[in-house]
Amino acid sequence: MGNRSNSRATVLFWVADGGAAIFVAAALAAGVAAIAQGARGNALLAVGGLAAAALLRAAMQVAATDAGEAAAVRAKAGWRRRVYPQVLVAAPGDRRMLGEAVADAVDRIEDTGGFHARFLPLRRAAIVSPLVIAIAATLGSWVAGAIMLATLVPFGLGMALAGTAAARAAARQLDALSRLSGLFVDRVRALPVIVGFGAQDRIGRHLADATREVATRTLDVLKVAFVSSAIIEFFAALSVALVALYCGFNLLGVLPFPAPEKLSLGEALFVLVLAPEFYLPMRRLAAAYHDKQVGEAAAERLEGIAPASSPPPPRSPMVRPPALRFDGVVIAYGETTVGPFTLDVPAGTSLALRGTTGIGKSSLLHALLGLAPLGGGRILVDGGDAAEVALAGQVGWAGQTVAFVPGTLAGNIRLARPDADDAAVEAAARRAGLGPLIETWGRGMALPLDHRGSGLSGGERRRVGIARVLLKDAPLWLLDEPTADLDAGSAADIAAILAAAARGRTVLVVTHSDALAALADREVTLT
Amino acid sequence: MIRTDLDRLLAGAVAPQRRVFRLAGALAALAVAAGVLLLGLAGWFITAAALAGLGGVLAVQGFNYLLPSAAIRLLAIVRTGARYGERLYGHRGALMALATVRARLFERVLAVPDVRAVSAGDAVTRLVHDIGTLEDSLVRKPALPAALAGGALGLALTWLASPWAALALLALLAGIALGAHLAAPRLLARAATDMAAALARLKASVVDHASASPEILAYGLAPAIGRSLGAEAAALDAARRRFARGEAIIDAGLTLGGGIAMGAVLAISHASAPMTVLAVLAAAGAIESLAGYVRGVSCNALVAAALARLDAMAKGHPLAAGGAEPIAMPVGRTIAFDGDGAHVRLEPGERLGLAGRSGSGKTSLLETLAGIRPADAGSGIRLDDRPIAALPREAVRAVFALAPQDAQLLSGTVRDNLRVARPGLGDGALWAALEVACLADDIRAMPQGLDQWVGDGGARLSGGQRKRLSIARAILSGRPWLLLDEPSEGLDGETEARLRDRLDAWLRETGTGLVVVSHRPALLALADRRLDLDSYRILAKVAADPRARD
Repeated sequence: MGNRSNSRATVLFWVADGGAAIFVAAALAAGVAAIAQGARGNALLAVGGLAAAALLRAAMQVAATDAGEAAAVRAKAGWRRRVYPQVLVAAPGDRRMLGEAVADAVDRIEDTGGFHARFLPLRRAAIVSPLVIAIAATLGSWVAGAIMLATLVPFGLGMALAGTAAARAAARQLDALSRLSGLFVDRVRALPVIVGFGAQDRIGRHLADATREVATRTLDVLKVAFVSSAIIEFFAALSVALVALYCGFNLLGVLPFPAPEKLSLGEALFVLVLAPEFYLPMRRLAAAYHDKQVGEAAAERLEGIAPASSPPPPRSPMVRPPALRFDGVVIAYGETTVGPFTLDVPAGTSLALRGTTGIGKSSLLHALLGLAPLGGGRILVDGGDAAEVALAGQVGWAGQTVAFVPGTLAGNIRLARPDADDAAVEAAARRAGLGPLIETWGRGMALPLDHRGSGLSGGERRRVGIARVLLKDAPLWLLDEPTADLDAGSAADIAAILAAAARGRTVLVVTHSDALAALADREVTLT
Repeated sequence: MIRTDLDRLLAGAVAPQRRVFRLAGALAALAVAAGVLLLGLAGWFITAAALAGLGGVLAVQGFNYLLPSAAIRLLAIVRTGARYGERLYGHRGALMALATVRARLFERVLAVPDVRAVSAGDAVTRLVHDIGTLEDSLVRKPALPAALAGGALGLALTWLASPWAALALLALLAGIALGAHLAAPRLLARAATDMAAALARLKASVVDHASASPEILAYGLAPAIGRSLGAEAAALDAARRRFARGEAIIDAGLTLGGGIAMGAVLAISHASAPMTVLAVLAAAGAIESLAGYVRGVSCNALVAAALARLDAMAKGHPLAAGGAEPIAMPVGRTIAFDGDGAHVRLEPGERLGLAGRSGSGKTSLLETLAGIRPADAGSGIRLDDRPIAALPREAVRAVFALAPQDAQLLSGTVRDNLRVARPGLGDGALWAALEVACLADDIRAMPQGLDQWVGDGGARLSGGQRKRLSIARAILSGRPWLLLDEPSEGLDGETEARLRDRLDAWLRETGTGLVVVSHRPALLALADRRLDLDSYRILAKVAADPRARD
């Protein structure tokens, strides 16, 4: 609602700018007519009117821009609410690179700003304003008004042709830009590998080729986009020329046809000055055409990421440890598939998943969370489809890579249970064997961490993940090689702590460690 | 601000496009001149025609209307054509020049000493967005010739009506240009800096969080993180709105100036009515021709912020002249670790196993050897009896091939990932390395073999597959020393045993040396000697203390 009123205000301000232009033209025409008649006093009065009308225009333009920007802020906030939650839980096997996801989430939403701030209001103003100008021109000379309106027909046809071609080219360019951005993020992430192998030159050349390709694509788009603005320029110039010639010949009385009206100098100048104003809203719209192309293509991509929200299904909180059943589950990453797997985990028991590397153990855990594409079979939680059950937010998870957010050690562990008090967080950390880390740096639980968890060893990272599981106290635990990266002694300690804490929960643990597998109620080897 | 380095880089990229830019500038000047003349001439024509019409039949017959009416039509066409050409050539020059700049700047990122510290989200903001801003500023290059041509023509035509009117117009033109220059830093510069900083922060936050997908889903963190990201985005919106408002105010100066110019010329001119109208409309046209230039001044605030950031990147890490220089001396035949706990010296082809508790600094030590973590003067590591900290990074990197604990893969195909290791690798070599790493069977089973897409950072592969791909890559590099960090983590016992045997055979055949970190006895058995980092105190302390440097 609020957004619509912002948008309507923007249109009104732009139309008012056109109205003020009529006063500018009238004042100028009156001034010249007064001078031609030798009435200098009247001319000075007209000069005053001219300045006042110009000031009004300037004010309207500023107001229109600001109101448009306010509308854009609201539109972007709406997109962010829809898109961010989707981007944050992107499937790890998703083909889109992480960098592309970022470009989608941040840049594409920013790209929609110009569409709401400028293009939408200018498009409406481009319908209303020229009509207002043409009607005003008719008061001076109805033929001039008719000339203006008549040039609209070929103009509209030209724009329609140029517009569709430009839209297609813009979509292609946006793809290229997005891939480029993804490529940059990915290669920067892999910098240690690139410099380690001295591959700077090769990777650099590859990126140079990619950027040149984007430049070429952009030029293709612009060639077409410029045709549509050239069409506007041409008809704007043409309407000035036609109005000037008609008025001149009319005033001379040399029209090749019977004069339909008798013009005065004032009337003729009024319509001449209005002639470029007639096309000005269209020229502004054309300048915002890039905003439209980028904005619409961006919106299309965003719709792909976050389809128009359907109300979330009723979520029943998981209070008891659930029974899990994997029934002929196949996970399909495009052409590669793993499975089929059939497994039963009775409620409140633990199962160790073993099997050769690459068989799909981790993928099974991802699939349970809905992070891996299911190619066949069913995953049942307490007899109901896993997709229907609200697993998100109710699971204890320790994965092969542990995620960090900038903040403190305590803050990172508390992610698992935001309402946990300091004592509970520290207790979980110490149980997970982070005691030495808490003591060593003299910062206790306030030890600052960046988003990479820099400065923590592989084992310490694992322990942070384990502390999260312990703190979460969830009825279902999914553990993906929780003791990898730990030395034998530490691994045995952690395995024992996990085994004790896991009692009574449903636990699925992927592991190669015999010690850990031995602590589970059952073990299954995937083949 | 000293911009010599970046200036040289930009100038080098723009130089090949100089003719394109000149052409664009000439066309821009032509388009603006045609526009000013079109409206002025049309006004003169109508006014003169009105006076002739009043003067009776003789006056009408004496009035040459063919020439002005033909000129009006010609000017309409010239203006359209010149404008199209200006836009096209201006953009071509800018885009092509900046494709070069982009690649050069990526090379600068690669030259950063501690590559692990480069944050992905931020680097992308710099490269893609800042260069886009530079692009805009280059596209606006023709605006200056256009403003000069329009201003000069307007002044000349106004002079015909009255020198005083011309003087008034000159004052207005100068006033508007000066006003824009004075207003832009105040109204826009701060907003532009805030905007860029807010965008970079927002992107970095989204990247950080998106890499935590499974945790976010498992612990239901999406709404909370979404809210905090939304709060960060509000700062961006506010800065953007301030910028738009400032820009609109500067633009509105043109509208107001145009009205004042018309009024002033009308009031001052004492020439004939047709000449007065010509002068009035030419003056309005002259002011309008400043539009592109004033817009450019507004954008300068953005460009300045972008340049400052790019400059920081370029200046901090000047590129070695001539790109990759040959390594001056052979390095790394022998490695020595000196600490108060131990003294270990490795001859070519020897093997060392590193053991120690979690957190004792094994990974840091391997990263220091591999040259991706800056070496500390007190680290006690010597290559060919020279302290590693004193050796050029490139020379150190050329000696070691690291398969890191956290196998970093490129988003691309299996082949892309392997060929990073060394130029000129054929498929035969790739398969041989995959055999050694016990991954060949897995790859053969994939529908597209070597061309299989491995997903975002290798996410389509299992942890063990990623690790073995990274080992195969290290093998392919042909360096004298192989560094393996927990190579069998995530592997089942049978695969682990096969990997150990094949690595053993390969190391023997090629005479490659090895430093291996592992908790597993099977892999440590590859090494003839063992260094326990728990007792190796100096090295352990330095290597495990990255925060001291951060």
